[in-house]
Amino acid sequence: MKIIYLAIGASVLILTVWNLWTEKDWRKQATAAMVAVPLLLRVLLIK
Amino acid sequence: MPFEFILFIAMVGVFAACAFAIKLPVSLSMLAASLTGLLLSGNGLGIRHLVEGTFGYVDTILVIATAMVFMRAVQESGALDALNVVIIKRFRTMPAVLLPLLMLVAMFPGMITGSSSASVLTAGAVVAPVLIILGLPVESAGAFIAMAGILGMIAPPVNIPAMIIGGGIDMPFVGFELPLLLLTMPLAIVFSLTLGLKHIKKVSWEELAPRLDLETYKRFGPRLFAPILVVAILMVLGKTVPQYFGMGLPLVFIIGAALACFAGKRFNPLKAAKSAVADALPVLGILAGVGMFIQVMTLTGVRGFIVVSALSVPPALLYAAIAITIPMFGAVSSFGASSVLGVPFLLALLGKNQIITAAALSLIASLGDFMPPTALSAIFAAQIVGVQKYSRVLKRLIIPSFVIIAWSLAFIIYSKQIAALY
Amino acid sequence: MKKHQTSAAIISVLTLAACAVASATFLEHRKVEPIVSGPGVSEIAKLSKWYPGLAGTPADTDVYILRGKAPGASMLVLGGTHPNEPSGFLSAVLLIENAVPVSGTLYVIPRANNSGFSHNDPQEGAPTGYHFTLPDGQARFFRYGSRATNPVDQWPDPDVYIHAASGQALSGNETRNLNRGYPGRTDGTLTEKACYGITQLIRAEKISISIDLHEASPEYPVINAIVAHERAMPVASQVVLGLEFSDIKIGLEPSPKNLRGLTHRELGDATDTLAVLMETANASQGRLRGRTDEALVLTGIDPYYVKAQKLGRLYVPYDEKGHPIEERVGRHLTAIVEFALAMSSEYPDSPLEFQGVPEYQALAERGVGAFLRTAP
Ligand SMILES: [Zn+2]
Repeated sequence: MKIIYLAIGASVLILTVWNLWTEKDWRKQATAAMVAVPLLLRVLLIK
Repeated sequence: MPFEFILFIAMVGVFAACAFAIKLPVSLSMLAASLTGLLLSGNGLGIRHLVEGTFGYVDTILVIATAMVFMRAVQESGALDALNVVIIKRFRTMPAVLLPLLMLVAMFPGMITGSSSASVLTAGAVVAPVLIILGLPVESAGAFIAMAGILGMIAPPVNIPAMIIGGGIDMPFVGFELPLLLLTMPLAIVFSLTLGLKHIKKVSWEELAPRLDLETYKRFGPRLFAPILVVAILMVLGKTVPQYFGMGLPLVFIIGAALACFAGKRFNPLKAAKSAVADALPVLGILAGVGMFIQVMTLTGVRGFIVVSALSVPPALLYAAIAITIPMFGAVSSFGASSVLGVPFLLALLGKNQIITAAALSLIASLGDFMPPTALSAIFAAQIVGVQKYSRVLKRLIIPSFVIIAWSLAFIIYSKQIAALY
Repeated sequence: MKKHQTSAAIISVLTLAACAVASATFLEHRKVEPIVSGPGVSEIAKLSKWYPGLAGTPADTDVYILRGKAPGASMLVLGGTHPNEPSGFLSAVLLIENAVPVSGTLYVIPRANNSGFSHNDPQEGAPTGYHFTLPDGQARFFRYGSRATNPVDQWPDPDVYIHAASGQALSGNETRNLNRGYPGRTDGTLTEKACYGITQLIRAEKISISIDLHEASPEYPVINAIVAHERAMPVASQVVLGLEFSDIKIGLEPSPKNLRGLTHRELGDATDTLAVLMETANASQGRLRGRTDEALVLTGIDPYYVKAQKLGRLYVPYDEKGHPIEERVGRHLTAIVEFALAMSSEYPDSPLEFQGVPEYQALAERGVGAFLRTAP
């Protein structure tokens, strides 16, 4: 189950970062970055 | 004046300045307010605390993101439009039955999962278009499904705020079903009628038909609804036989989304997923920001200041304090309010029936999902009915919210008498 | 590069930098602090010795065995069931570094939930650890952990946690709470496996009495108290009297029958051990606390708890002097010595006696640091 959830987390992370780079408004980019932080550290099993 | 009070004012002030004067999104305003709290309290930039705070919502972020992806997939497949056709064809002539029924349908995912967002984003998205077609203004339809979200969250069998409040005094989540039904079901019926009945117009099928998408259902038939059905079944199985199907909402939604790719109209799944996450990002960002904000409030003692201030109102005003502070604190999250304020208030009410009191407190805490800036239930409801400003949905929820508070307080005051009834 | 890509790049770099800074702290938190074996320690085993399924997992943890010269009863002390309750862990450390059993055997598991020591709870703003200065000037650092297993080791939580043996439902995050998982099982979560390991140790070693050390927030009704399984009641009542004799007031509560998964219920039901749990007052885990930092953990001094006490909201006395760690550890250690005495008088054939355990007064006067050994 943990592997599956890490995969789901990674997928949401990728979609978030994809949006970060295609988004035109820097405020929305920064919001995406805030969301990416916990996803990234969880997927890397740091936190 | 305690330093914590000054900090609190500074944090709220910076938040308001960023959100209203500079027009930053709520997420970034929360970040700015948290940084202010860290710097003023001598904690430096406190990067560790900012990052750690977001982890309070990492699971919620996954639930919301995957729910949005699932709903987008169901929508793109044409299933939502087709479902509207089926419901309206069957029930359009008897609104007094239809409205409570739709309320129950919209509550269902919340009852099973304990999450108002899951309710609004799934069943709410199915019910809202039907309400609009039946004649409800978009704001009322939004208010209808937002209300279904929080009532569903509180109704049994799963009520996470009550579990959190009970857990704080080591009370197991046992014997809550009946009190929670008594609390929520009368409200569900009353609100479904007050929000909807006056707007429903008697319209003939011939008038409605051109506004509906009849084609998709004709082309694909009932298999269009397979993803929705599978998700509903998996939610129920997850509750009834968790040892085999306790896979959690995110996985359920991913399975549903995958099925939707093959059930109806074709669409590009990657693009749909990307834009679904883009739609969810403002709310996900708020969650991350609120996580930082709570962590900094706790670290700096602002949380303690708020809680002890709430507890120091004289006993005569205890109920007023409950009615005001729990929904207000719910702005950060209804779960947060349950833990931070619900537990101390339950302890302050030790003379009452504990189960009914905890159940009633959980209902008040659920109002946090209407409280800006997070207002998860209202924001998602507005998104689903296509209202730009969610405050327009919120306006319709003000009176029902006061009714909920009064109803809950009555349950607390008469908890012993109510317990004696069953 | 387009303008929006420039801003995306800047934001990404800043975010990654923040992640790097935070990650350094998070990874540092996994470094295990040394515990120095005192003269009484005869063996250090791993919990996986009793349940091999734990070997190599983050839940495997050190078991310190202190064998007395004379035979007698055996006692298991669990510190760090909840790693955000430092007096339980520190009491276990002080036993390991100081106690010398005369008769009977002492088993100490300082980090019962080993994984919980490797992180902090989100939104609690807790310090990563706290320090003591030794007489020789060395500073010993101990980690302040989380109430629950690290999600890195056990994730995701279910929406609702179902206690396996009883079907009791609790909030999903309790899945990672060691003190809700007893008696544990082999095909469960990592936390339930740790519970199972501890239950197996008690069965295999025929532990006479098991003491689970905790702290509670001052607004929590069960505090400065012993919670005892019904079979442990006679011994626990003697301890209450004994502590009264040394001017330590402690409450005694029977283990509730319908609250499942806790040590004082399940260990007493599943094994022959006498199961008790003890609580001291810890402001740093409370909901009413003000500023959260290392000083609060060590002194318990907190203006908001003083205010709450005046409002009648607390279950322990609370004034400007707080509840220092010396007092909290002193309560636990004195009670442990009293439990040994009570066991010896209740079961004279299998005595239990420890020497060298730091005394309440001495701790208050000289501090915890005076009883810690220099780490290599
Ligand atoms: Zn504890």
